[in-house]
Amino acid sequence: MSYFRVTLVRSAIGLPRRTTDVLKALGLKKRMVTVFHPVSPSVAGQIMKVKELVDVREVDRRLTKQEIHLERKPDPGYYIEQTAETEWGANRSY
Amino acid sequence: MFKVTSPLFSGLLWKIPWRISQPQKARQRKRLRSVDKVVDTINAALSRNGTKARSVDRWYREMPREEEMLPKDKYTIFDKKEKTYRKGIHKLPKWTRVSQRVNPPGF
Repeated sequence: MSYFRVTLVRSAIGLPRRTTDVLKALGLKKRMVTVFHPVSPSVAGQIMKVKELVDVREVDRRLTKQEIHLERKPDPGYYIEQTAETEWGANRSY
Repeated sequence: MFKVTSPLFSGLLWKIPWRISQPQKARQRKRLRSVDKVVDTINAALSRNGTKARSVDRWYREMPREEEMLPKDKYTIFDKKEKTYRKGIHKLPKWTRVSQRVNPPGF
């Protein structure tokens, strides 16, 4: 079972009403929103209606909102130092 | 320096240049390719699941790919009111978000 990962890249402002309705049916309300739909002919037809506005990928599983957010999170630029003893202990535990 | 020109001085008047610029052409090609990519992704996913969609088949039957298109079709569209029957594609309303790839029969 695979899924379409659909991201709205371009807005449908000024386009026919039907385009906005299709986006709403797919669950895309604003730009850069990502939704997951199982691969099926009906979903494919919906995506074909808005193919100029979206970015599509095929993925194996749905990601949660949290996971999508973490993909975009930049590197913090630091790491927390540990004492040699705790690090050694952590390595020893497994 | 303020210059009195018709677009600036006479209310609502938009001017669309006659020619499409090089960067606009480059972006147009990029958009055409991105639409091709979306359709290919959908088709690959469907065929892996053993299904088909009518809209996808129709797209492949009727629409040329970006690399198959002539420059004429990429950057201009048919217009019956023009002397040469062609005008820049940037005159087409919402031209960055519509798929316009084929000509009417005979043109």
